Amino acid sequence: MSTVWLPCGDYHQNYAEDQGWWQARFIKIKMILLLAVTFIGIPQFLPEYYVSVATMVGYTAMGALGVQLLIGFTGLITLGHAAFIAVGAYTSTLLVLQFPWPRFIVDLGVAYPISILVGGIAAGLWCVLFGLPSAKVKGFYLILTTMAAQFITVDFILTQYVSQIGGRGQAFSLPPGIIKIGPWTIDTDVKIYYLMAVLLTLMVIVLANLLRSKPGRAWVAIRDNDIAAEALGINIVRYKLLAFFVAGFFAGIAGAFWVSNTAALSPEHFPWFWSLWLVGVILIGGVGSIHGAIFGALFMVLVMEGLQWAVIPMSAYFPRMLMAFASIKDAAFGLAICAFLIYEPNGLAYRWWQAKNYFNLWPFSY
Amino acid sequence: MELFFMTVVTGIMVGGIYALVALGWVLIYKCSGVLNLAMGELTLIGAYVTLAFYTAGIPFILAVIGTLLVGIVLGYLTERIFLDKLIGEPILAVIMVTVGLSFFFKGMVTFVWDTDTRVFTPPIFDIKPIELGFLKVSPVYLWSFIFAIVLLLVFVCFFKYTRWGLSMQATADDETAALSLGVSARFVYAAAWSIAFMSAGVGGALLGNINGINISVGYLGLLVLPAVVLGGLNSVPGAIVGGIIIGLLQNLSGTYLDQYFPGGVKEIVPFAFMAVFLLFKPYGLWGWERIERV
Repeated sequence: MSTVWLPCGDYHQNYAEDQGWWQARFIKIKMILLLAVTFIGIPQFLPEYYVSVATMVGYTAMGALGVQLLIGFTGLITLGHAAFIAVGAYTSTLLVLQFPWPRFIVDLGVAYPISILVGGIAAGLWCVLFGLPSAKVKGFYLILTTMAAQFITVDFILTQYVSQIGGRGQAFSLPPGIIKIGPWTIDTDVKIYYLMAVLLTLMVIVLANLLRSKPGRAWVAIRDNDIAAEALGINIVRYKLLAFFVAGFFAGIAGAFWVSNTAALSPEHFPWFWSLWLVGVILIGGVGSIHGAIFGALFMVLVMEGLQWAVIPMSAYFPRMLMAFASIKDAAFGLAICAFLIYEPNGLAYRWWQAKNYFNLWPFSY
Repeated sequence: MELFFMTVVTGIMVGGIYALVALGWVLIYKCSGVLNLAMGELTLIGAYVTLAFYTAGIPFILAVIGTLLVGIVLGYLTERIFLDKLIGEPILAVIMVTVGLSFFFKGMVTFVWDTDTRVFTPPIFDIKPIELGFLKVSPVYLWSFIFAIVLLLVFVCFFKYTRWGLSMQATADDETAALSLGVSARFVYAAAWSIAFMSAGVGGALLGNINGINISVGYLGLLVLPAVVLGGLNSVPGAIVGGIIIGLLQNLSGTYLDQYFPGGVKEIVPFAFMAVFLLFKPYGLWGWERIERV
C-alpha cells in the first residue's frame, strides 16, 4: 500500500507505479531540497564543528540501518552489531596499511575504496557466521548468539590477536594522508562529511530498493510470522541469512568509513555499549522504517551533544560533573531509552507520520 | 593432577555464586516473562552497597543482610516504576527497557562510587588456604560457596513452603489460572524483582570479595546469561546446574586454554561455548520446547 497522498484524480494503475519513489511533484521538490541541504547546505555553510557532528550522525545512521534491517524488518534481534562494524573497520585498515598494493593502485587512490568494499563483504560473511543459529533458534537465544559475536570478535580476536599485527599491540595509527579516494585525500572534516553523505545516500537507496523487491517482502513476512512465511513458500533460512549478510555488509561499510574519521583505530571504538546504542537509536527513531534509523541517529547524537553543552557550564559549580560525564551520559541514555519505550513506543517516525498526515489535510481537519 | 582438582573445585565454588545470580534471573523470566539484561548491573549495585555498609563499620554478615533489604526496596521500585508499565508490550521493548536500566544503574554506580577498583578492607576472609584432604582451597572461595548454597536453599524453601513462594510458582506455571485463583500478579512481579535484586546483590558482594570491586563485577554478572541458556530459560534447577557448569568451564579454560590462546580466553569461553551449544540443543538442557501455531 502506498502511503503517498496523490493529487485529486491521480490513481496508480499498476504495482510499479504504486511502489515508485517520487510520485508527486511536492515530494520531488522536497527530496531535491533535502539532497541540496545534505550535500551543499551543511558542508558549505556550517562551521566545521557542526559538520563533524553531522558526520557523527551519519556514522550512527549507517550502523543503525543494518540494525534496522535485522530488527525492524526481519525481526531478528541483534545486540552485537558493533562487532561487525569493527570487522569492517579492521579489514579496511589492514588492507590500507599492510596489504602490498601495486604502485599504480596507490597512485590512483583506489586502495581505500576497494578496502571499503572488501571490509563490507568480510563483515557480511562474519555476520552470516553468527547468524547461522538463527536457522534453529529465535528470540532470546538468538540475542545471546549475537552477544557472543560481540565478545568473541571485539574483546577477544581483535583485542588479543588482530591488534598484534604490526607489533604495536594497542591501536593502528593511521598516518594523515593515507586515506585517499581517487585524487582526493580525505583529511578535512568537510571531506569526511562528503564521504559519509555519499555512502549513507547509497546505503539508503540500496536498502529501500531491497525492501520493495522480493527479498524485502520476504523479510517482512518473516518478521510478521515466520511459520506463516515458511508455509507461503519462503525459504526462511536463506532469507534470514541474506538479511544477516546485508546488515553485516552495511555495518562493514560503516566501519570502513569510520577509519577515515579517526587517527588511530582501537577495539575501544566498538564496545558492547555501541551495539546497544544502535538498538536504542532505532527504538527511539522508530522500528521498521528507514527514516526511523535516521531520525534516531539525529536525536541521539544531538541530545548527547546538547548534554555536553549543558554539563560544561554546570561544571563551574559542580566540578565532579565534568569528570563523571561518561557516567552521566550512560545514565541519561538509559533513562531516555526507558522513557521512550514506556511513553513513546512507536518512536519519532510515528510522530513524523502524524505530523505529515496533519499537514496533508491542513487546513481542513478531515 | 592436583592442579586439575584445584581448578575443578574452585570452578564449582565460583559456579555456586553464578548459580545464585542465575536463580534470580530465571525467577523474573518465569514469573513475568521479562528477559533481564540488567543482571550484571544488579550484581554491581549489590557489591557496592555491601561495600558501603562494610566500610561504615558494620560486620560483613549484617552488611549482607542490609544489602538484602536494600535489594527488596530497589527491586520493588524498579518493577513499579519501569516494568509495570510494559506488561503486554513486545519482547524487544521489554528487553531494551532492561538494557536502558542497565545503563542507568551503571551510570549511577560509577557516578557515586567512581571507577577505581575497591577492596573490602580489612579483608573478610583469611588469605591462607584451607587444607581439605590433599586440596588447598582459599577461604574466600569456600565461604562464598557456602554462603551461596545457603541462600540458594533459603530461596528454594521459600518457593516450596511459603504462601508467597507458592503463589509465585503458580504464576510462573500458568498466569491466567493463578490470576483467576486470586493471586496478585503485581505482587508476584514485584517479589520476583526483589528476589532477583537480593540474589544478584549477594552474588555481587561475594564476587567482589574474590577480586575486588569494579565495573568488571558487572561483567561477571553478565555470565549468568550463558548459564541460564545452558540450563534452559525456564528451569530453576537448570539455572543452578548451568551456573556451576559455567563456573567450571571458565576456570578450566583459564587454566588449560590460556597458554594456547593468551589473553582473555576465560571471559569469552562461556559465550563461545553457549553459541555452539545452542546449535545442537536450541532450548538448553531443561528448557520448555515451545510448539508454535500460526
